Amino acid sequence: MKDIANHIFDILENSVRAGATKIEILMKFTQGCFYCQITDNGAGIKVKEKEREVTDPFVTSRKERRVGLGLPLLKSTAEGTGGFLKIYNLEKRGCCLEFAINMIHIDAKPFGDLTRVILDALICWPETDLILWLDNGNNQREEIFNSKELKKILEIGDLKEKQIKDFIYQSLEEGFKKIGIDKQFGYL
Amino acid sequence: MKNLEELKKIRERVKRDLELRTGKHRIKIVVCLGTCGIAAGARDSMNTLIDLITRSNRNDIIVTTSGCAGFCEQEPMIQVYVEGEEPVVYGKVDTKAAEEIFNQHILNHQVVEKYLFTKGK
Repeated sequence: MKDIANHIFDILENSVRAGATKIEILMKFTQGCFYCQITDNGAGIKVKEKEREVTDPFVTSRKERRVGLGLPLLKSTAEGTGGFLKIYNLEKRGCCLEFAINMIHIDAKPFGDLTRVILDALICWPETDLILWLDNGNNQREEIFNSKELKKILEIGDLKEKQIKDFIYQSLEEGFKKIGIDKQFGYL
Repeated sequence: MKNLEELKKIRERVKRDLELRTGKHRIKIVVCLGTCGIAAGARDSMNTLIDLITRSNRNDIIVTTSGCAGFCEQEPMIQVYVEGEEPVVYGKVDTKAAEEIFNQHILNHQVVEKYLFTKGK
């Protein structure tokens, strides 16, 4: 993966494939450390696979091929910069994934276009509710995107329309800029 | 999310265009978006296709996504289903290839041999 945006899109696809109808993303970027938490209400990790084993590339439940690389790749991206990746089932249904990347580390990948990821996810999986929270570092969360509310006034077909797409893109980007994701090192 | 009111207004404005463009889908393009596809840049190809469709003003083409098909070395891969024709699978579709396939295959019903992976079921 070239950038973190692609990694996140990949993780979102895992959730969708697990049958999630709602995915919540929380991002935080302070002092050069990018933290992201993705919570879904899908099937979670099967007991057979076990929570600590899903980051092993040779553990997979799919049938097309015998390796699963999404999580191991993200794990190495995170740990290569001194960060971490944790994944665990929630008490109720669903699963939670957390990772942190030290963006100041020389091996850190660029962010890529995170705004595009949210829009692409909306186009690819219109049935899944997507909620994005940003944390400004003072533990104040701000909801900057909620596809459920968006769907109240829009239909998915509307997203093809450039004016609508641009409007959502811009309002999302403003939110990301507030916590400094448009800069590799953020606001130090 | 902020500015929902503003978005509502934009929607009202473009609504009339949209109403003219809803109809049955005759052509379906499936972009494989597994880990392998994403790493190979399939999201860029997908966005190119969506933009091309919007620009061509066609309302009978849809783009959907699927997971990994098991031919990771061929990514980014797209499948093209045209009603009444054999499905065609293209491999190594970057943004340039996507444009070519759109212009030749989707608009003119000619298979682009250069990027062809398999044909038929």
